[in-house]
Amino acid sequence: MWHRSASFILDKNQNDTVYPADSVTLTPPPPSSISTPQNPNPNLNRNMSMSAYYQTRAAHHGVVTSDWLAQSQEAATRAVVTGGQEIVDGGKSGRAFSVIDEFNNWRKQPDLAEAVAAIRALAAVIRNSEAKTMMELEIELKKASDSLKSWDTTSISLTAGCDLFMRYVTRTSALEYEDFNSARSRLIERAEKFGEISYKARKIIAMLSQDFIFDGCTILVHGFSRVVMEVLKMAAQNKKLFRVLCTEGRPDRSGLRLANELAKLDVPVKLLIDSAVAYTMDEVDMVFVGADGVVESGGIINMMGTYQIALVAHSMNKPVYVAAESYKFARLYPLDQKDMGPALRPIDFGVPIPSKVEVETSARDYTPPQYLTLLFTDLGVLTPSVVSDELIQLYL
Amino acid sequence: MSLSQLMLGPNVVLCNAASQTYPSCNTFTHALSFFNKIEGSQATARQTAELLRSVISQQRVPYTNQAGALIDAVKAIGEQLIAANPVELAVGNIVRRVLHIIREEDLSLTTAAIGGLNLSAVSDDENDDDRDGDSTLSAAAVAAAARSTLRPPSLQTLLEDTPVSAAVPQTSSSGAADKSSRSRKLKHDVIEAVNELIQDIVTCHEQIAEQAVEHIHQNEVILTLGSSRTVLEFLFAAKEKKRSFRVFVAEGAPRYQGHLLAKELVARGLQTTLITDSAVFAMISRVNMVIVGAHAVMANGGVIAPVGMNLVALAAQKHAVPFVVLAGSHKLCPLYPHNPEVLLNELRSPSELLDFGEFSDCMDFGSGSGSPLLHVVNPAFDYVPPKLVSLFITDAGGHNPSYMYRLIADYYSADDLVVQRRATAGN
Repeated sequence: MWHRSASFILDKNQNDTVYPADSVTLTPPPPSSISTPQNPNPNLNRNMSMSAYYQTRAAHHGVVTSDWLAQSQEAATRAVVTGGQEIVDGGKSGRAFSVIDEFNNWRKQPDLAEAVAAIRALAAVIRNSEAKTMMELEIELKKASDSLKSWDTTSISLTAGCDLFMRYVTRTSALEYEDFNSARSRLIERAEKFGEISYKARKIIAMLSQDFIFDGCTILVHGFSRVVMEVLKMAAQNKKLFRVLCTEGRPDRSGLRLANELAKLDVPVKLLIDSAVAYTMDEVDMVFVGADGVVESGGIINMMGTYQIALVAHSMNKPVYVAAESYKFARLYPLDQKDMGPALRPIDFGVPIPSKVEVETSARDYTPPQYLTLLFTDLGVLTPSVVSDELIQLYL
Repeated sequence: MSLSQLMLGPNVVLCNAASQTYPSCNTFTHALSFFNKIEGSQATARQTAELLRSVISQQRVPYTNQAGALIDAVKAIGEQLIAANPVELAVGNIVRRVLHIIREEDLSLTTAAIGGLNLSAVSDDENDDDRDGDSTLSAAAVAAAARSTLRPPSLQTLLEDTPVSAAVPQTSSSGAADKSSRSRKLKHDVIEAVNELIQDIVTCHEQIAEQAVEHIHQNEVILTLGSSRTVLEFLFAAKEKKRSFRVFVAEGAPRYQGHLLAKELVARGLQTTLITDSAVFAMISRVNMVIVGAHAVMANGGVIAPVGMNLVALAAQKHAVPFVVLAGSHKLCPLYPHNPEVLLNELRSPSELLDFGEFSDCMDFGSGSGSPLLHVVNPAFDYVPPKLVSLFITDAGGHNPSYMYRLIADYYSADDLVVQRRATAGN
C-alpha cells in the first residue's frame, strides 16, 4: 500500500530489521542487537542505519545539534572498532595496516574530495606493500579497493575514485615499464598529484562557468557544494553583479553554511526554506547544483531536494547547470529513485515522534538527465548525453 | 565601425584587417572590391580557408617545431579575423579546423617517424633495451601520450601527466636531411588537407542533397522559411528522383527571401504555396515535415537561424511535426551559447522594416535631438534550442542534436576553443 516500486519487498525486509518496534525518539539502533541473527558482517547493517558519507558531509558542512552530536560520536567509536578489523594482508604479520583507517584520516579534511581521499589511501597501500611484481601489487590494490567500497557502499565518488585508480594502474602496468620500482614510484607520484588535479578541477570548472553568469542574474543553489562555492567565489572576484537564492537544505541545513560564506564575499544572499523553491522560481535565472555522483544516463545523484528543484525549474523553462568533477562519473544506471542502494541519515524533528510513524530518511535523490541543461566538468562543458560516451571510453 | 563599412559588409572589413598584417591578402581585398558583400557562411568559409592556405604556404617554418610555427601564424591571423566579425561563426570554425588539421598532420608524421626509428633500432642491436632505460618513456607511450593531446581531455587521461611533447623531436635523433624533408612534408600535407577542406565546403550542398531521397517521401507536404541554398538543392534532388511533394514557403520577413525561393521552386516544377510568417501556426497542422537551413549550429545542438525560425520550431513541436535542419559541416561551432539572442545576433538596418521618409518625425536616429519615441529593432538571427530540433542533416550524415559533440570532437581540438596567440612558444 505504501510502496510503489517492486522493490518494496526488499524495503520491507530492511525496515523490519532496522526499525525496532518501540522507541520514543528515532535513533539508529546499535548494530550489535541486529548483527547476531541477521548478518555475520556488522558493516552491512551499519550502512543501512546510517550513511557514513552523508554523516561526514554533515560533519563538515552542516549545523550540528546536540543529539546529532551524540549520535555521530557513537557512530565514530563504532567505526574505529569495525575499521580495525579490516586488515589488508600483504603476507606480513604484526603490521595491522588498515586502508579504512587511512581513508578516514584523509576524509576528515573538509576541503578534500572523497575520491582524492580514496586514491591517497590506495597510494598508501602501494607504499606499504611488499609486493615484488606488478601483478601482486594489482591484486593487493584490488583487495584494498574492494574493502573500501564495501565499507561505505553509499558513497559514489569513493567507488568512482577507486575504479578510476584501478583502471589507471592496470593500463599503466600493461603499457610502459620494464622496471617494477620505477613503475611503483610513478604510481605513487601520480596518486599524490591527484589531489592537485582535484583542486585544479574545481578551478577549471569555475572558469568554464563564468561565461554563463551574467550581470544582474539570480542564481538558485541547493545545499553546500564546494565546487559551486568555487564557481560563485570566482564570479564574485571577477566583479560580476549577481544575487544568490540559497535553500536551507534540510536535514543537515548545509545551506546556512553556504549563506555564511557568501555573505563574507559580499554577495547578496537570500535564504529560502526548501518548500519555497517553486514560490521564488520565477525570479530565478538559473539553477546551479553540485553532484555527489554523475550516472551513466547523464543524470545526477545529489542531496535530497535536487530532483524537486530540477522539476520545478524545467517546468518554468529555467536552465539547470551541474558542476561536477570528472572523477564523480560512476557506472550506475538507476531507473527510478529507489534503484540505488539506500543512504539513510537520521532526521531530527526537534520533537519526539511516535514509533508508529515512519520517517523517510533517505539522504539523496536521482535527477534524470532530461531535467539538466549542461554539466560543467574539468573535461569541458558537456551535455548530459556526453557522459555515457566518456564512461564507455573509460571502461571499454 | 563606420556606416560605409557597415554597408560594405563585415566580411570586407575582415579582409582589410587581415591585409594589414599579411600584405599577401591584398589580392583578396582586390577581388572583393568587385562585389559588395560576401553573403552566407559557405562563401565566407571558403574565403577564410583559401586565405589560411595562402598564409600557410607563404609561412617560413624553422627546422624544429614546424607545427608550432604554423599554428602560431594561423592563430595570429585567425584572432583578427574572428574579432572583425564575431557573429559570422563560420570564420572561427574554419580557423579551428585548420589548426586541428595542422596538429593532426604533425602527429601522423611524428608517429610515422618514430615507427620507422623503432624498426631500425630493433634490427640493429639487441642491447638497445639497456640504453632505453635512460628515456623513461617508451616510444609507444610517447605516441599514445601525443595522441591524447589531440583528443579532448577525458576520464582515461585524467591521471596522466601532461605529455612531454618536447621529448618527441629529441628521440628522433636523425640527420639534418631527414628533418628538412619532414618540414617540407608537413607543409605539403597540411596544404593538401586544407584543399580537401575547401573541396568539402564547396560540395557540401551535393552531399547533403544526396540524402534527400531517404527523408522526403511521396505525396508529402514540406514547410520551409526564408531561402536557403541547401534547402533548395535538397528539394531539387528529391524532385529528380521522381518524388512528388508540395512545399509551403513562409516568406521570411523582413527580407522576404521566401519569395525568391518560391519562384525558383516553381521554375523547377514543384507545387508551391506562399504564406506569411504569421500564418505558420495556422498551416502547420497540414504539414508533414519542416526542412530549414541554418546560419550556425552550436555545440549543444542549438541552432542560430534566420529570424522567425524559433516560431516555426515551436509550432512544429506543438503539432509533433519533425523539424529537420540542414547544415554543412563548416557551420558546426564548438562553442556553447550562453546568451545567444544577444551575443550571437546581428542587428540590421531599420530601413528594412520602415520607410525613413514616412517615419522621419518619430523615429529614433540616435542623434539625441528631440524626444523620438519609436525604436526599431531588426535582429537578423534567432536561437532555436536543441530540444526543438528532431534531426540534423550534415554532409557527414543525419544525426540528432545530442550527437553534435561527437562531430565536434572529430573536427576540432580542445586547445583551439579560444583562438589566442600564446606568449610562450611550443605546445
